[in-house]
Amino acid sequence: MTWYQNSGKDSDIVLSTRVRLARNLRDFPFPNRLDKNECRKVNETVRDVLLAGDDSLFYTEMSALNSYQAVSLAEKHLISPEFASDSTGRALILSKDEDVSVMLCEEDHVRLQVIYPGLSLKEAFEKAEQLDSKLASSLNIAFDDRIGYLTQCPTNLGTGMRASVMLHLPALSQSTAISRLAATVAKLGLTLRGAYGEGSRPTGDIYQLSNQVTLGISEEAAIQNLQSIAEQIIAQERQARQSLLKDDVFIDKIYRSYGILRSAHMMSCDEFTSLISYVRIGACAGLLDVPVEKLTYLLVKMQPATINADAGEKYTSAQRDVIRADAVKKALE
Amino acid sequence: MLCQNCSKREATTHIKRVVNGEATEAHLCQECAAKLGYDNFFDNFSLNLPDIFSSFFGDSARALAGSRTDRCEKCGCSFDDIVKTGMVGCADCYDKFFDKLLPSIQRIHGRTRHVGSVPAEQLTETTATEKKEETAEEKIASLEAEMKKAIDAQNFEQAAVLRDKIKELKEDK
Repeated sequence: MTWYQNSGKDSDIVLSTRVRLARNLRDFPFPNRLDKNECRKVNETVRDVLLAGDDSLFYTEMSALNSYQAVSLAEKHLISPEFASDSTGRALILSKDEDVSVMLCEEDHVRLQVIYPGLSLKEAFEKAEQLDSKLASSLNIAFDDRIGYLTQCPTNLGTGMRASVMLHLPALSQSTAISRLAATVAKLGLTLRGAYGEGSRPTGDIYQLSNQVTLGISEEAAIQNLQSIAEQIIAQERQARQSLLKDDVFIDKIYRSYGILRSAHMMSCDEFTSLISYVRIGACAGLLDVPVEKLTYLLVKMQPATINADAGEKYTSAQRDVIRADAVKKALE
Repeated sequence: MLCQNCSKREATTHIKRVVNGEATEAHLCQECAAKLGYDNFFDNFSLNLPDIFSSFFGDSARALAGSRTDRCEKCGCSFDDIVKTGMVGCADCYDKFFDKLLPSIQRIHGRTRHVGSVPAEQLTETTATEKKEETAEEKIASLEAEMKKAIDAQNFEQAAVLRDKIKELKEDK
């Protein structure tokens, strides 16, 4: 099962956990200095190593996907938006459960990602490490004793590891707590940013907490740091929710959101993301009888390119709004 | 206003993001916006904007970039190219331009010495044990730095956890 069909530890607040490793092959220049054919050589070299003896993985060149399929992968957080925007020389290795995705010739030769539902940093890191050892056992990986894994962009030197958790923080977003929190985590070498939307309050109140520094800190220490900060944020959010749920106005908002989702004829992605945020709190608090996995699934599946990719159609935005409203209605019946 | 990415065309797309509570803005032309993935479909994403502009190379790095003739033998990349694009050419460039890159690396990470894992095949028996000793020492140092940060942030709970860990490591030695 994919991360968005499942729930995990602390799923009332944590949607997913990701660990991404940046690796490069010593014998090739970095992707910005490779032409299409050299990229293909890199891609196929990595493919042959990772796919050997592992039939859960498959390989595709990005040029084989249409733009909806590519963007849909980014909407599911399996690849970066940047990777989806340009297919030249790029390829993807994906596992059937979508928990492992390897971007080839993105910013680095190899960007290996593991994504799991809920808070599971250690498990995700272990899986990533396992695939990383498989790479290192057959390939000459670019590494320097002083500055660690060599990456195209110096911001990823050292461990080359970015770990992140996607957090649903509606209660903390209601107050000014979230901006104070963001300033605090920045001092601890972490970044807290909105996962969707622009402006000061992200759509759906979904945030991403990730490690910023990769050099001079071991993978274990970085993960431990992220884990303990995430746990503190989770505790604070739960506490803030307790007091919010004493407010009749807020409870009314939860039921109204549920009502709109179950009866609207058209629903934009932004409106949907905001409404489902309330329903999610209601479901986690036991006010609404909806499994939280279902809400995560909808959150992923109701995004624009994913609707088009799943249907294999080039729907316009207005057509999608009708399809989205209809699908949500059915799912929450 | 001209596009901040290409500085050629008129900027028509305004991108606003909030990272760690601080707002960053970018004005891009349609072409660059599309190239960088900011067409309609990408509205819902947050891209790593600072990566687009190679802003982490400060003025000092730009001053060092004068010697244009000095190029990496393997990929032909000069230090000037690295500063301009924000991207290093190949693994050998890090050796070639190590001293010039180091100040920027220090500024980005605050540290200049790797303490994490090593690729499996590079762990011959002798280096493995050497590495281990080094890691214990450096682990303590990095934990101490973290503890200091935690205290500065008045995160005493976290600091106490770190203090215990440091104690444990010191006792193990």
